Amino acid sequence: MTAVVLDGIVLGLQLGLLGVGLTLVYGLGGVLNLAHGQFAVLGAIVIARMLDASFSLWVAIPVGLVCIGLVGLLIDLTLMRPVYKLRGEERVLLGLLLMLGVGTIIDGLLEWRYPIEALSIRISGDPVPILGVSMRIGGLVGSGIALVAGAALFVFFRFSTFGRATRSVIQDEEGARLCGINPATVRTTIFALSAVLAGLVAIARAMTAPIVVTGGVRLTILALIVAVVGGLGSVSGAFLAGILLGVVSTVSAFYIGSYITSIILLATAAITIVFRPSGLLGHRP
Amino acid sequence: MAEDLLTVSALSAGYLGEDVLSEVTLDVASGEAVAVIGSNGAGKTTLLRAICGLLPTTAGSVHFGQTKLTGLGAHSIARAGIAFVPAERHLFPTMSVRDNLSLGAYPKRHQHAKLEFVFELFPRLEERGGQHAGTMSGGEQQMLAVGRALMSEPRLLVLDEPTTGLSPLLATEAYSALAKLRADGLTILVAEQQVPLALSLADRGYVLDHGKIQLSGQAAELADDPGVRKAYMGVT
Repeated sequence: MTAVVLDGIVLGLQLGLLGVGLTLVYGLGGVLNLAHGQFAVLGAIVIARMLDASFSLWVAIPVGLVCIGLVGLLIDLTLMRPVYKLRGEERVLLGLLLMLGVGTIIDGLLEWRYPIEALSIRISGDPVPILGVSMRIGGLVGSGIALVAGAALFVFFRFSTFGRATRSVIQDEEGARLCGINPATVRTTIFALSAVLAGLVAIARAMTAPIVVTGGVRLTILALIVAVVGGLGSVSGAFLAGILLGVVSTVSAFYIGSYITSIILLATAAITIVFRPSGLLGHRP
Repeated sequence: MAEDLLTVSALSAGYLGEDVLSEVTLDVASGEAVAVIGSNGAGKTTLLRAICGLLPTTAGSVHFGQTKLTGLGAHSIARAGIAFVPAERHLFPTMSVRDNLSLGAYPKRHQHAKLEFVFELFPRLEERGGQHAGTMSGGEQQMLAVGRALMSEPRLLVLDEPTTGLSPLLATEAYSALAKLRADGLTILVAEQQVPLALSLADRGYVLDHGKIQLSGQAAELADDPGVRKAYMGVT
């Protein structure tokens, strides 16, 4: 049981980092990025191609993250412009439709060009015993990446001027504008950051399981579930929800069967919406 | 007479293609306090929102000193030195009082001197420094909204109905804080339904009705005007 829960936490930290990117973009501008998982896979495939071309991991990873960040930046500056001009429901609908399209295009391109490509990152080292369970080093390094990224985000949003400005736009956009903050700049920066975070998740995940070209949709769905359960717009909520869902996921996969795990995760999200519409730590009504 | 800080010329603005405001002209000189008075629905909020860039204008122009503001976004106008306190306040509810204030200083970056100034004006805010803005009373939220606006060291403070939701006592207190700021030399433009309070603060006033300036003059003259007294001050 301990082993299952620890595995759940390892998975959960990655889920948390995955959800953060989605939740921030939605909280800021109402755009539900249904290509978030595809961003992660795109980053992973860039890194995998570079590894195939015998670049070292230390070169491939930064290049992969920069590439996916630029893709995010470009999409925000082009496709998302008309979206932000709309208000309310129309903005949400156009945003999610366009991002669904982007996701489909990324999926299609990758499956067409690199159908058998996958990213696995092997970290050599002996398993480390934790609470009597021998944990694989890959999972631990992956969790370390997620934890460091989470802590960095926490510090950024709490203590940096730009981080606080980002939260202010999420809480009250008009109030933020009156303070001299340009919501468009904040949205663009965070959209690109969110894409980089997706790439980071792919790297952490690739240390325990291969990232394959067809894995994008599943990652997007997981990100959506985590973001809903955590509360749209909440960073700490996303991590809390990630860990909770990670443990639920490994426990149900171990005791019930993996085929039903996806249903249990979706049910958790549905129950959250019914009983706590703003999510675990969300503050939006 | 001091030079004009804010010049509004024949400004029209509105919602969904219909002008609420038609060809409003007004000016505020440096160091002056000016009141825009009128009943609910007269167009006061529309006028202030159009000046501050929260609402697109359909005709006319707004100048701040030599700078043309028409067409600029609200954040650029805030950075130019106009701080707007909307009636709904628009605070950041799950951030602390201190974080709200420090965001008010976003265009400036250096903020310690100004923070002391705000805490001196509203000691209550210092006591409540760590509390979330959303959990404070209406009066405290009003203080925080004004405090946040002052953090940017504005050259012009614009307030929309600062007495909204306040008891008569708190409304009077809010105006005495504004009187202190005015005495320190801050230029103020305020829209208000509570006409006696507004005219007690202001040097000059404009009466806005149906989106048009109906009357303007020295505050004391307006306070003695029979029409104003009848329409807005409950004197029959």
